[in-house]
Amino acid sequence: MSSEQSFQIAVPDDALELLKRKLTDARFPDEVDEADWDFGAPLADIKRLINRWKDGYDWRTHESEFNKLPMFTRDIDVEGFGTLNVHYVHQKSVVEGAIPLLFVHGWPGSFIEVTKILPLLTAGGLDHPSFHVVAPSLPGYAWSSTVLKRGFRGKQYAELFNKLMISLGYNEYVTQGGDWGYYITRTLAAHHGPRNVKASHTNLPHASAPTFWASPVQYIKHLVLPYTALERQELAHHQEFVTRGRGYYLEQSTRPQTIGYSLSDSPIGMLAWIYEKLVAWSDSYPWTDDEVLTWVSIYWFSRAGPAASVRIYYEIGGSGETWDMPRPTVPFGASYFPKEFGSTPRTFMRGECNVVFESEHTSGGHFAAFENPQGLADDLRKMFGKNGPAAGVVSGRDGF
Amino acid sequence: MPEETPFKIAVPDDALSLLQRKLADTRLPDEVEGAGWDYGTPLSDIKRLVDRWRGGYDWHAHERELNQHLPMFTRDIEVDGFGVLNMHYVHKKSKVAGAVPVLFVHGWPGSFIEVSKILPLLTAGGAGHPSFHVVAPSLPGFGWSEAAHKPGFRGTHYAELFNKLMLSLGYSEYVTQGGDWGHVITRILASQYGPKHVKASHTNMPICSTDIFGTFRNNPLRFAKYLLTPYTPREREGMARSRMFQKTGMGYFAQQSTRPQTLGYNLGDSPVGLLAWIYEKIGPGTDNYPWTDDEVLTWISIYWFSRAGPSASTRIYYELSKSEEVFRTPRTSVPVGISFFPKEVFHAPRELLRAELNVVFESEHDAGGHFAAYEKPEALVDDLRRMFGRGGPAAGVVPGHSGF
Repeated sequence: MSSEQSFQIAVPDDALELLKRKLTDARFPDEVDEADWDFGAPLADIKRLINRWKDGYDWRTHESEFNKLPMFTRDIDVEGFGTLNVHYVHQKSVVEGAIPLLFVHGWPGSFIEVTKILPLLTAGGLDHPSFHVVAPSLPGYAWSSTVLKRGFRGKQYAELFNKLMISLGYNEYVTQGGDWGYYITRTLAAHHGPRNVKASHTNLPHASAPTFWASPVQYIKHLVLPYTALERQELAHHQEFVTRGRGYYLEQSTRPQTIGYSLSDSPIGMLAWIYEKLVAWSDSYPWTDDEVLTWVSIYWFSRAGPAASVRIYYEIGGSGETWDMPRPTVPFGASYFPKEFGSTPRTFMRGECNVVFESEHTSGGHFAAFENPQGLADDLRKMFGKNGPAAGVVSGRDGF
Repeated sequence: MPEETPFKIAVPDDALSLLQRKLADTRLPDEVEGAGWDYGTPLSDIKRLVDRWRGGYDWHAHERELNQHLPMFTRDIEVDGFGVLNMHYVHKKSKVAGAVPVLFVHGWPGSFIEVSKILPLLTAGGAGHPSFHVVAPSLPGFGWSEAAHKPGFRGTHYAELFNKLMLSLGYSEYVTQGGDWGHVITRILASQYGPKHVKASHTNMPICSTDIFGTFRNNPLRFAKYLLTPYTPREREGMARSRMFQKTGMGYFAQQSTRPQTLGYNLGDSPVGLLAWIYEKIGPGTDNYPWTDDEVLTWISIYWFSRAGPSASTRIYYELSKSEEVFRTPRTSVPVGISFFPKEVFHAPRELLRAELNVVFESEHDAGGHFAAYEKPEALVDDLRRMFGRGGPAAGVVPGHSGF
């Protein structure tokens, strides 16, 4: 493992020129009358976004904003896969005894998802704990290098990020994750907890129905007690996802290379592919065009290109590989946001993980840290604060 | 003689320049080492095809060939609730006046080009075999047919459209041939317009309705036979192929049947994206058909230069999945002929097919895949000649048009 390198995003000029040429030559499809969102992202939205991307949107401004974040890269070896170069945000709190927290994003997100909660988590306070935050880009996302050898799965992500935290001097730490971040932090907790990972929190509390043998109490509760109104709503939302919203998943988990050609070559194609989810998965979040374009530009200008980002679906749980959801023993926190399509009834998580903290929100969706940063930060403060269910899990670093 | 408006493909120069500009700016992805076909269309194939498309491939030459060898026309057809759709079709009459009129319906990612090899064989006169008048339309939103502009264009609308087309050409009684979507559409045609207009159907894609209970109710004895008959080795192999395809090859189906518009932005804007998406199916979908690069590029160019654009072609998946017509294909009493090609990806057990449909003709082949008319034109035409020829199980189904 080598030392930390300070990192600044610097997209070359010719990349910007290529994008502009492609946007100028964009060829739009037709659309059936009054399609709205039924067939996919609406034409009017995409046209407006493309026009903005071509004229008006200024990548350099947003690039400079990102460059104000404390970003770094570091070489990390993963057994059997050689050396990966990981891009990450690392912000320490002024409070020395702050709790080290690893924040892991998912798809179609990125390190951008940490930007709103970063100041909230690292802020010192008398009545709430503070955190040192590490937010890496997954391999193949943003400015992390990608893996070109097959078989990079949960265990490898866990090894990668555990080594990252240890290399930063955080031998003990807690985690927060949604989307792939949930799967990865759960795997981390299972493989490296409680030795290194002391507790985990997720905003995608997804688990299987409890079985009698594994969790008899939850099994019986699930059998006997009716779902709450909120749980029923979540299940309906989940059904909608399963029946009409999983095309991307089936394609990415079986033929990531095939869709990869379009995502790499067509800015409007890639924009539509991601934008559809930004809107469908959030809770009426008032996306500005520039916000959308920045989320999408990170993919467009990423080090490994957009195609690399969808391989995770193939490698983990795709094309016949086993989808392993390990059962960690460390304390777990689960935040339920109403428009998160992956939430499951409460007994499910309680049956699989050692759930010590739960919270239910009235607003927020899949991108909780970006849509409802205060809500998420409050949950973490409650979970890890004085008298919280996971208070003082990290030795010598209680957040105060 | 019904009046017809001749059609020649004439892709404008600016469309060709735009394609060249996009190809020159192609941004390719990376690829996992030793990926082969596991992750999708291989990078080496795509690189080679893009290079050829940029320099060497001559669209004008292929356009000329299509115009020369395929007599093409357009015609306005009104569909209830959808207004007028301008349909592009191939129409070749045999010199034999009493030839059997046959409607050939293609699927995805095929096109009217799939009729090109069987066309001369079907229309050829001959002492020993029947002859056919052939009508091969482009589905709405494919080739140079207009796309439906409103949502809800279902199986019944396709049926209405094509029945009207045949009637307008003077064929009030006819037979059909179809694979892929062509199978689904000709089945719906037969159930809606047979036996009055559709007298018999032939298919090279043997799928069953998912309405198994309906099949049982319809033909309990035959269904019982299905339950009791062990699968033949061929059937087992075919079903294993189907299962593998369901597990690893249905991503395109899931996307196209739920969010075709989102995918459409990719297919319409990126030539390499469109190429990879289609080549993934036509490369491995055949039985080692020796595709030349130019053949592949012509198949893809038809989508790229299509009247409605590539995106429109995917909507059929959305509409017919939402209506469930693709899963619950209707039963029909119209006589059916089935040709079984070993590398076809959709297989159904023989006995179940016999319980579901009025199967009068079957033919097992040792070679051939999903695109039978293109891969094995002689074999397919041979089957049709035997099915409809003298002494065949569907001989003389069209009164006055025995084929001789």
